[in-house]
Amino acid sequence: MQTQPVVAVNGVTKTYGKPNEKQFQALKGVTFSVQPGEFVGIMGASGSGKTTLLNILSTLDRPTAGTVVINGQDVTALKGDRLSDFRAKQVGFIFQDFNLLENLTARENIALPLALQNVSHAKQTQAVEKIAATLGIEAVLDHYPTELSGGQKQRVAAARALVQEPAILFGDEPTGALDSQSAKELLNTMASLNQEQDVSILLVTHDPFSASYAQRILFIKDGQIGQELVHGDKSQSAFYQEILDTLGTFQQ
Amino acid sequence: MLRKLALGGIRSRFRDYAVLFSGLVIASAVFYMFMALATNDAFLKSNSPVSMTSFIFGFGEVLLVIITMVYIVYANTFLMSMRQRDYAMFMMLGAKGRKIAQLIFIETVSVGLLAAVVGVVIGMGLTGLAGNLLISMLHAPATHFSVFWAPALLWTFGFFLAMFVLAAIVNAIRLLKTPMLDLLHAATTPNRIQQKKTVLFIQAVLAVILLAIGYWAMTQLAKLQMMAIGVALVTIVLGTYFLFNSLLVWLIGLLKRNQRFAARGLHTFTLSQLSFRIRDYTKILSVVAMLFALALGALTVGLGFQREIPEMARHQNAYDVVTIAASAKTQKAAKQLTGVTAKTAYTQKVTAKAVYFDADQLKAQPLQFELFDQGKWQHVTVTAKNFARYAEDGDSQLLQFRIPADNARRLQVVSHAAFIAASGQTRQVMTYQVRNFAANYDTIETMVTQQNRQFGVKSSDQSGQKFTVYALINSLYSGLAFMGFFLGIAFLAMLASTLMFKILSGASFDASRYTMLQKIGVRPSLLRRSVRQEIGALFLFPGVLGITHVLFGLNMFKGLLQQPYGNLLLPFGIFIVLYAVYYALTVWLYESIVIKRDRHE
Repeated sequence: MQTQPVVAVNGVTKTYGKPNEKQFQALKGVTFSVQPGEFVGIMGASGSGKTTLLNILSTLDRPTAGTVVINGQDVTALKGDRLSDFRAKQVGFIFQDFNLLENLTARENIALPLALQNVSHAKQTQAVEKIAATLGIEAVLDHYPTELSGGQKQRVAAARALVQEPAILFGDEPTGALDSQSAKELLNTMASLNQEQDVSILLVTHDPFSASYAQRILFIKDGQIGQELVHGDKSQSAFYQEILDTLGTFQQ
Repeated sequence: MLRKLALGGIRSRFRDYAVLFSGLVIASAVFYMFMALATNDAFLKSNSPVSMTSFIFGFGEVLLVIITMVYIVYANTFLMSMRQRDYAMFMMLGAKGRKIAQLIFIETVSVGLLAAVVGVVIGMGLTGLAGNLLISMLHAPATHFSVFWAPALLWTFGFFLAMFVLAAIVNAIRLLKTPMLDLLHAATTPNRIQQKKTVLFIQAVLAVILLAIGYWAMTQLAKLQMMAIGVALVTIVLGTYFLFNSLLVWLIGLLKRNQRFAARGLHTFTLSQLSFRIRDYTKILSVVAMLFALALGALTVGLGFQREIPEMARHQNAYDVVTIAASAKTQKAAKQLTGVTAKTAYTQKVTAKAVYFDADQLKAQPLQFELFDQGKWQHVTVTAKNFARYAEDGDSQLLQFRIPADNARRLQVVSHAAFIAASGQTRQVMTYQVRNFAANYDTIETMVTQQNRQFGVKSSDQSGQKFTVYALINSLYSGLAFMGFFLGIAFLAMLASTLMFKILSGASFDASRYTMLQKIGVRPSLLRRSVRQEIGALFLFPGVLGITHVLFGLNMFKGLLQQPYGNLLLPFGIFIVLYAVYYALTVWLYESIVIKRDRHE
């Protein structure tokens, strides 16, 4: 399979603190890639550097060294408007705390990325309704975020992330603030988006259950990728058990 | 431990506290500035020819109290929004309700008191600065004007103390009643506000009716007297409030429903921000509109009075200054005159019985008289032909061409031959006309004083100089101009701090929204545009309404000013420029808080 990877991370390091101050190296040379249509999980304890990694991947932060290529574009070289446009078109985010704008309705939240590209109102409505149907939130489109449950909010956030059909969807602990039922539903939705619509997904989490939905899991510890697990043909529960075992030994 | 927590809270939100504190300081400073005039009866009486002035100031006091009250209530809500999570945390750590109430009380009252103390000091500084600057600029005597004025001091402290004690009690009761969990998660606000269409409509109708009554009342000042001001005050304040409450909400709703407009770029976001703002901001926007009207009105009227002085003086005398046999000192001073438009020399011959003008000289350069004839001010040129006719009517105009020693002598025009033949002393008379009397005030004063000393002019009715008239009119009107400018400055400061306070106090909540937008890929330039539009709307609406208030309000001064609507361009221009500068400053501050610079740059 020699297609171009959708995400290619090469030797990324990140050092905090100025040269003459006390420095802290959060990432110590991380290299991996995500192929189109893949569902990759990144696991690690708090302090392992996974948030730093995700911030760099999602272009919110910049690595000290190394490159990040998303969909053929070296994002570390992007600046200003081109960076904003790249974020708007190529990557979708779902965050633990939803990051919905609470002064807009669900519909307006989802349509926002399209409005920014000045897509016509009719097309916006069409696209919003299509993605809402996929995620099962048609009924709550005209509600404000404060009127939605956590699961619904996260689905709205996912809809907003996907409405532009980005090259990759980044999830930062998307189930972190959800109850187990909503979390399961969201993960199932993500898995089916991945399988049926070929959406590439990179999920950062410390929750083994969430991670068990991925096809491949990278373990990060002290700023380095330590181990890799592949789902393969195993059942989900077997994979879940494998993750738990790995975590048990990996953290020591 | 509690104290440590309390102080820690302040340190971590230093910027918010700075906004809060500086806002309150300005409020109390302006309160003091106003009270320093309003409670100084001697000043008001001696500086205003209008007996109603102290009453007008009384209404002003009421208005300022309302405005300051709204301001303080907002400041307190802001203070509480910053503190309630901390208080809830203290409670979680086991602090008792009474202890919390005590803490709130100490904190609220000390913030208020400290603001009042600093405010009064700054208020005195501003009073002194603005006062002295205006006194020298306007040549206003401003008798009894005092920078340190005890009643104003007492008023300011009393008012602020009372307001903050009240606020502390309300804060404590409200806080202790709210469930702890709600306090801990207080930052998320409910968002769907039910707006009943009928209520909106009734408010809109009421607003129009109230404003119409208020505007009408201001035109009827002559008939209704004090009632007019009272009625206008109540109706316009309420009308402004209802107008913001209804019309703007409706207008934004309308724009939002226009899908072709709303669906482009950040329009939906900007409109949503605004519509939440507007509801939250109605009171502040009303206050800003009122302050805008007061500041602009005061400035306009002040300028009107100031313009009135040379205008009235112009009708009294065609010449700005006239010298007779000028001494070296006078001549030296005359050289200092700027913008001289005309300078004419006449030769007089002083005989035992008369003072002669040369007819040929008058023919070449006629005298100029300002006469009040048949209900009109008239400008006449006087030569030998009509001298006899105007000499009687224009006696006041001729006064400046002679000296007290000429009292027994008649002023006459004689033919050139007779002039030469007459025996007597000749003397040189110089008339000067300048473009701007006020700008030459000091020079002219020196010249006139020199002349008076030279010829022993003792009282103003012996001197026909324009300066005398000017000084007289100035003493009547400059007091009013002084009040106008002084209050204009004070209200402008208050206006600036009110709107800026309200916008910046919400900025930390908005910051997260803008960060989210940046994360989903909104260009920073687009975010800036959204900020500019949003704040622009918050500035524009009260501005437009404020200007409307002033345009109607100027009716009240028809009796005092000859042309209250003359030359509006200058005060409005000055004010709009100041307002625009202040808008730019607010945008800049707000952007620096809410729009994070990309870490890539």
